[in-house]
Amino acid sequence: MRVVVDQDLCGTSGQCVLTLPSTFRQRESDGVAEVCVATVPQALHAAVRLAASQCPVAAIRVIESDAGDDERGSAGPPPTTLEAERHAARDQRHPGGYDGTV
Amino acid sequence: MDVQAATAVCRDAFAELASPACLHDPYPFMRWLREHDPVHRSAAGLFLLSRHADILWALTATGDAFRGPAPGELARYFPRAAASLSLNLLASTLAMKNPPAHTRLRRLISRDFTMRQIDDLRPTIARIVAARLDGMAPALERGEAVDLHREFALALPMLVFAELFGMPQDDMFGLAAGIGAILEGLSPHASDPQLAAADAASARVKAYFGGLIQRKRTNPRFDIVSMLVGAHDDDADTLSDAELISMLWGMLLGGFTTTAATIDHAVLAMLAHPQQRHWLQRDAAGVKAFVEEVLRCDAPAMFSSIPRIAQRDIELGGVVIPKNSDVRVLIASGNRDPDAFADPDRFDPARFYGTSPGMSIDGKIMLSFGHGIHFCLGAQLARVQLAESLPRILARFPTLALAGQPTREPSAFLRTFRALPVRLHAQGS
Repeated sequence: MRVVVDQDLCGTSGQCVLTLPSTFRQRESDGVAEVCVATVPQALHAAVRLAASQCPVAAIRVIESDAGDDERGSAGPPPTTLEAERHAARDQRHPGGYDGTV
Repeated sequence: MDVQAATAVCRDAFAELASPACLHDPYPFMRWLREHDPVHRSAAGLFLLSRHADILWALTATGDAFRGPAPGELARYFPRAAASLSLNLLASTLAMKNPPAHTRLRRLISRDFTMRQIDDLRPTIARIVAARLDGMAPALERGEAVDLHREFALALPMLVFAELFGMPQDDMFGLAAGIGAILEGLSPHASDPQLAAADAASARVKAYFGGLIQRKRTNPRFDIVSMLVGAHDDDADTLSDAELISMLWGMLLGGFTTTAATIDHAVLAMLAHPQQRHWLQRDAAGVKAFVEEVLRCDAPAMFSSIPRIAQRDIELGGVVIPKNSDVRVLIASGNRDPDAFADPDRFDPARFYGTSPGMSIDGKIMLSFGHGIHFCLGAQLARVQLAESLPRILARFPTLALAGQPTREPSAFLRTFRALPVRLHAQGS
């Protein structure tokens, strides 16, 4: 699993950092959230999905990778934005968002 | 209270929230609204949402399906806006801005509100807490009643703000005296005299901050005002002195009346539910669970003070909210919605034990800090103040008891206090 923060959307609430300080951090200059691991260890998958669903501005995107993804924590290189976008487009499932509009 | 009879036809929920019955206990009425009129249209045409799912949706959709009023539009939504200083200041606050201006301004401020920055304030907050409790101890130990609201709940956030803004404590106490009047003036139901009182207090705050900005420009220190003055001077086109004053004014308004009320509610919960005190006597997760449950049970700002303007016709629960309507959310009701929190009127910190702050074990969002782009900037600052206070109050004064009925501010909008008299139980009684 990978996780990306849309830094244009980020509302700087810091909720993700409170939830998972080992996975997210805030930039000192403006409070925007960053992901500090390349891949999310198995043990944190559920917590990362929760953090994504709790983000007040839905800026966190979870990229569920295919079987066989390595679980070596921060060993691998971080995904590029484009790569993340492709993954997101293919894999992103909106986590139970409420749709009250018509 | 006979809610059914009182509100068989609810013409105006805002007026109902100002009724004596609701000032005493607004939750039966909120329940009635959720069950019978969850997308309420008030006499003045404002909409009020009271179900958790609808509120969460509206907060999330702010910046998309909803926007803040444009400066020129304000007069349409507030007929008295042009003449009112308070409403003009409100119009320039972060909470009324739309992206992309909102995004830029919020990030300018956010650098002083990162989780790390707030965590760095813990020792300062703990020191203020200890000093305030020391100050209350002699009178309490003599058997006297002490007003915990004034001496502790209100004093703590005021002193924390003085520290953050780099202001002398006495100046902060002086400014704070007018904040309640300003908040009442911003309620949709404010009378002309209330708005006039708010404007007089706003004028004092504005003049003070104008002077403070000049002093920080000449003699910058490590505080938020100095930092924002620097940001302003580097970028004069987009952050005017007026905007800077509005921002500081907005932080004061959002910051300490609400924090004080939550400290008051937490102490009341501690006294009313002795069997739940163990949450404050164990680990940080237990304290967090207690704090979140207090925030859920009594949202200090019961509904949103800022207009959310519908960008298009929106159908919600079979009701059409026409484009350009002003939509408010009754977050205190959403927090008591049984569809989100089972047995919602029961005080039960277990709902939040071991979870991420603000989320229940069922994955439901506690709404008191809002959601979406306007999520409370000071949420973590408030949480840290509560977490640093409650275990110390309990440890220092284990026999604390009410010395009389707490007095609430007569507000339809804020669930806040005027006084919370406490004393210590006599030995052996």
